Amino acid sequence: MKRETYTLLDRLIIPDYDTPRGIRSGSLLIDPEKCRECGLCVRLCPGGCLYTERVSKNDLINGSAPEGKRGVPRLVATRRGTTLCIACFDCGTACPHGAITIEKNFNPTRYFKRLTQTSEMRYPRRY
Amino acid sequence: MNMKAEPLSSLGCYEEGMDWNPVEKVIFERRSIRSFRKEPLPDGMIRRILEAGRFAPSAGNMQPWRVIVVKSPGILAALERDAVRMAKLFMFFLDYTRGGTLRRLITKPLAKFFIRLLPNELHAVPFGLLSQIAQGKTPVFHGAPTLILLVEDRRGVSCPATDIGICGQNMVLAAHSLGAGACWIGLIKLCLYFPRWRRKFGIRRPYTLNDCLALGWQKPRADGPVPREVQLVEWYDGEIEDAPRIEKQGE
Repeated sequence: MKRETYTLLDRLIIPDYDTPRGIRSGSLLIDPEKCRECGLCVRLCPGGCLYTERVSKNDLINGSAPEGKRGVPRLVATRRGTTLCIACFDCGTACPHGAITIEKNFNPTRYFKRLTQTSEMRYPRRY
Repeated sequence: MNMKAEPLSSLGCYEEGMDWNPVEKVIFERRSIRSFRKEPLPDGMIRRILEAGRFAPSAGNMQPWRVIVVKSPGILAALERDAVRMAKLFMFFLDYTRGGTLRRLITKPLAKFFIRLLPNELHAVPFGLLSQIAQGKTPVFHGAPTLILLVEDRRGVSCPATDIGICGQNMVLAAHSLGAGACWIGLIKLCLYFPRWRRKFGIRRPYTLNDCLALGWQKPRADGPVPREVQLVEWYDGEIEDAPRIEKQGE
């Protein structure tokens, strides 16, 4: 197992924030079978990066969201195809139905490349 | 904390694979809480949390911190308003991820220049967040009923910023262990671009303010364990000339 290298080129290049080539953003798998469309994850997402057809985070905070089923959440994506998700999993921990899993962790490229974090995600381990 | 009846180990002992002890449980289940009830914690509870900060370790026991508790709804609303204003100003010039091609052509080089100047403040994560804030899609202080400003005295021993981190984390863990919720917020820096807030809170030499804590009752309760990246840790445990053994922590 080797650590990632950080080259001079990495240091010089600030990646584009809105393309998957620049930012390998997090992604989530949301199981529509398990999801009861309560909107809790949308409310809790730190960056407001989850939304549904019917509600956004601010609707839920202001109380202007319609009652009843809120719809299955989706990740906000930029026009060039990256999401704002950083795979913090605040949504998944709070989800009462266990409908959310992380598909991919967050890793920018180049200048901001993560060097000692691997892409495997694990729960705290009782050593 | 999601209080499921689970067995806990007692403090002060270790056996391989044993259950978490109460301190570890608080550490592993602490999530940054960004959704609060309107009413603040009782003052007694806030004092109890501040006490955890007072007894944090610091370099040379210099305690290079000054703590400001903000509970006034008027001030909290004004801070939020000004932070959003500043986020909008920044993003007007720098957000190349939205708008048309012409906008992108002009703002992208400018953004890259500023990212190089402020790589921490304009890292991809806060950049995305600032963009969302500027679009009115997420708040800055999450409607927290209390903010604790952790003002750093720059004359502290060694690295006072580290001491601030330790002091604050002591308070955060204490808060979560008491059933409250807390979140570190670095975007308080947005407000400090306004001289009136610097004057109001007395942020001038030798003081600097980089972080604050949002504090309140969790609504809904969102504490719980999460998966995190397996990390590479170097172990130097061989001969003096040996290369380190790299171990995957958490696998």
